[in-house]
Amino acid sequence: MSFSRLVALLLLPLVLWVATASAHHSFAPVYDAKRTITVEGIVTQFRFVNPHAMMFMDVTDKEGKVVKWVVEFDGNLNLSEKGWTADSIKAHERVTVTGNPTHTNSPKMFFVRLVRPDGTELLREDRQRSNAIEEERRQRALQRNR
Amino acid sequence: MAYPKHILISLFIILVGIAPSSESQSSRPNLEGMWSDPPATAVGTFCSFACTDAGIERINALLDDPANDSRPFRELQEEARSYEREFIRGRLTSESLKTYPVDQAQNPSFLRCEPPGLAQQMFMPHQFEIRWRGNDRVEFRYGEWDARRTIYLDGRKSPSKQPTLFGHSVGRWDGEALVVETSGIAAGIAGWPQLLAFSAEHSNQLRIVERYTRSKDGKTLLLTATVEDPWSLREPLVLKKIWRWAPESKIAPYKDCQIPTEFSKGTNRP
Repeated sequence: MSFSRLVALLLLPLVLWVATASAHHSFAPVYDAKRTITVEGIVTQFRFVNPHAMMFMDVTDKEGKVVKWVVEFDGNLNLSEKGWTADSIKAHERVTVTGNPTHTNSPKMFFVRLVRPDGTELLREDRQRSNAIEEERRQRALQRNR
Repeated sequence: MAYPKHILISLFIILVGIAPSSESQSSRPNLEGMWSDPPATAVGTFCSFACTDAGIERINALLDDPANDSRPFRELQEEARSYEREFIRGRLTSESLKTYPVDQAQNPSFLRCEPPGLAQQMFMPHQFEIRWRGNDRVEFRYGEWDARRTIYLDGRKSPSKQPTLFGHSVGRWDGEALVVETSGIAAGIAGWPQLLAFSAEHSNQLRIVERYTRSKDGKTLLLTATVEDPWSLREPLVLKKIWRWAPESKIAPYKDCQIPTEFSKGTNRP
């Protein structure tokens, strides 16, 4: 099992809707929005609850030691509005997860993106909303240029 | 006894026409039901927590400027939010500015999983359910924290002299708007200028007047809230929020709040 910990000092092009959604549960005291980290491992549990859904996973580090990671998500209230269910992530599946690390670099992150081996992915971003806004902007530009 | 048909019809029209309660009831928009996240528009998204007319004008101006066409919406939104923050900051009193912005790590909701007061709760995102409970009250239920508040429609006085988390709310109809006036709110953290990230403190002198109106097409609910607090605000502040009609949406249990074990202070301080 591979382990990657890419503490990329990317000024992450975080998503519009999500950036606001994180604000109401005091994201900032725990997580660093300016950095992202990626780990790969096996899901042991996904809890679809409020105020935040939680995923627990086993990640094997370079020395072969299994580290228990916790991935925090937006809550059931928010995720269900985007079509997520308790079965959106299943125990025992292998996933690669990207998220914002904690300020203390503990094995915990706030979810941004999850990719499965078959290429399917889950995003924190509300793509439907983003696409609708971009279409609205195109229409505004068209009307302006008429 | 037989009456001519046209007399019976006229009598029916007159009786229906003079039934004031049924007419006024039917002329009121039906606000009852489940509302949730704002419509997927630029302004709706900008106002997903709360916004001001100044902020709306700013985001519209940025969107209408051809120079911004290639900039990501999140950048424009943050620029408009920054403008709005300064707009509201300029209306805070010197007392309020002493603790502005309130450190997120000092927020009791975060630190101890305590439900927030009305000045935050009413601007929380996601589900918002309105239900009439008999003739004399309405229940507002919010997805976040699964919080409920009662709006009394009979004008009753507050039974308590002590301020409470949500205060005492009385409601009335003003044309097509449901107007809710609330006072007796315990001092706490406000949802403005922006919920948590840049929030200010308010006193127990806070008074909020909410106006709820439903759009003509029935698809959206608009809140216009006028907040007054002589301790924290130099003048009344008008905030707006919008929800979309979402009868399919459900409020899930809110019982897994975990007290944080690791966090940093001052992360939202300049």
